[in-house]
Amino acid sequence: MYGYYNPPFSVEKEGISISVENNGQHWMYRRTLGTDKVEKIILGDGKRLIINPVEPLNTPKEITPNLLIEFENTLLLAGSAKRRIFLTFPIEIGVFISDKGEKNIQLLDVMSLARQKFTLYGEVSNGVLCKHWKSKVYSISPSPNPLEEGILELTLRNTSSDWASISKAVFSAYGMKLYYGGDGDAFMRARMDILNRNTAETGFELQHISGELKSSPLKDFKTRKEAFGVYSLQKLGFVPLKFYMEWGF
Amino acid sequence: MILDINLLDIVLYNTSKAPVTLGDLLKFVLILFLSIFLTKILTIYLRRSLKDKVSKDVGETLLKILYYGILIIVSISILPLIGLNPSALLVAGGVTGIILGFASQNIVGNLVSGFFLMVERPIKIGDQVEISGISGYVTDIRIISTLIRTYDGLLVRLPNQQVFTTNITNIVGHPVRRFEYTIRIRYSDDADAAIFLIKDLIDKEPFALLNPAPSVFVNDLGDSSVNLTVRIWAPVNEWFGIKTRILWNIKKTLEEYGIEIPLPQRIIRIQSDVKKIPEELIPGKEIESVLNYEERVLA
Repeated sequence: MYGYYNPPFSVEKEGISISVENNGQHWMYRRTLGTDKVEKIILGDGKRLIINPVEPLNTPKEITPNLLIEFENTLLLAGSAKRRIFLTFPIEIGVFISDKGEKNIQLLDVMSLARQKFTLYGEVSNGVLCKHWKSKVYSISPSPNPLEEGILELTLRNTSSDWASISKAVFSAYGMKLYYGGDGDAFMRARMDILNRNTAETGFELQHISGELKSSPLKDFKTRKEAFGVYSLQKLGFVPLKFYMEWGF
Repeated sequence: MILDINLLDIVLYNTSKAPVTLGDLLKFVLILFLSIFLTKILTIYLRRSLKDKVSKDVGETLLKILYYGILIIVSISILPLIGLNPSALLVAGGVTGIILGFASQNIVGNLVSGFFLMVERPIKIGDQVEISGISGYVTDIRIISTLIRTYDGLLVRLPNQQVFTTNITNIVGHPVRRFEYTIRIRYSDDADAAIFLIKDLIDKEPFALLNPAPSVFVNDLGDSSVNLTVRIWAPVNEWFGIKTRILWNIKKTLEEYGIEIPLPQRIIRIQSDVKKIPEELIPGKEIESVLNYEERVLA
């Protein structure tokens, strides 16, 4: 489903139906997902639509830029150790409209097949609202439904000398960099640095994926594309791209 | 004879340093108005530039500090034009301050309160608050007063002194808040099943938070019903919508599964077997000792 589309077109997959048709006067964008229907009139010719995975923080309503991934099993990481694990994250599908040459990109629609749930990270008085997702911990890259779940490669680094017990990680959407392959798999690469017994810092790798994921369907580097993000389109000031986990992990 | 009088050179009054002319006064007024005009343009430009970069409350506070800061600096620096020495004003400030303080006690009080409201920031622009019995959204915090738009759309202006010295309830002060229902079910209904159904509904609602965890439990065995308490935490900006949505869903779901909310009940037992009643209590029965009481006593 992900890719570039020149109107008129129609695409349908896993209950999601997206189409752009010309009704003589203007272009009509239609999207259906279950009972949820969206219709928008596009005034302009020579436009192109881009469908790609976006940061999973826009549906059902954008109320927080933070994603909390809870691990199904608690991890114990030895002091000064560095390990790589794989998690899944919820997928949201973004539809953008642009001029030819990917100029003047505008978000048209966002939808999701994944379960929506929110949680609080930290205290009631000063905690942080987060989108919640529960993931299994994999040692090799999993193969989830690409329209529902993406793959997150997480490098854990324990900078302290003590054992670290890790059951969750919180990420900021402002630093997220999503990639997607030709067969629709969405991918992110992140890191989590354990600073001491109670605090950690998370962030995303901004460089392109090196293609070292032997078991991943995304191993072909050339087929991967960097997805347009909703948060990267916003004109931001000084927003931290990392997330400082001060209420435990 | 032609008199060459320049209006701008007309001396208005003399000071210890130099006479103050009409031109000096006009220059003072012109610079003051020009600086107000330019500062307004600057704040409008900065407001537009900062719109997407900083939150509205922080931006507005910064702009107010900048606006009044520039005006105070300009005013002090052009005071010599009208023959006033700023350093002399400082010396005289003590006495003047006391006089002004008494004369404009309320205004100064509001001004100082406004300053502390901006520094302490118990409320911010856009917050939902309750101050002195008035509930609504804070639309602006000015140096003298705070503006509140009530939920029914009325504009209320509260003096800053009142805001600062009274109890403020900031409804959106914390990121999450809890709400609660009491759900009454019949004694004949399965309370465990009702709890399961309610928990399932909460689980399906995205904005009902996982942490702090919701709780559903039997809280009271009432006169007519088993009372279940439902406590849910939600994001502070979403709680009211969720509260109304979940409550109606609970009602519909419980009814769907045959669990009903009972009306107040009172059990009345009507006894059919007539027991022996003392003859004094049987209505209509004439008791001889009572009827002939006077005759017997007077006789």
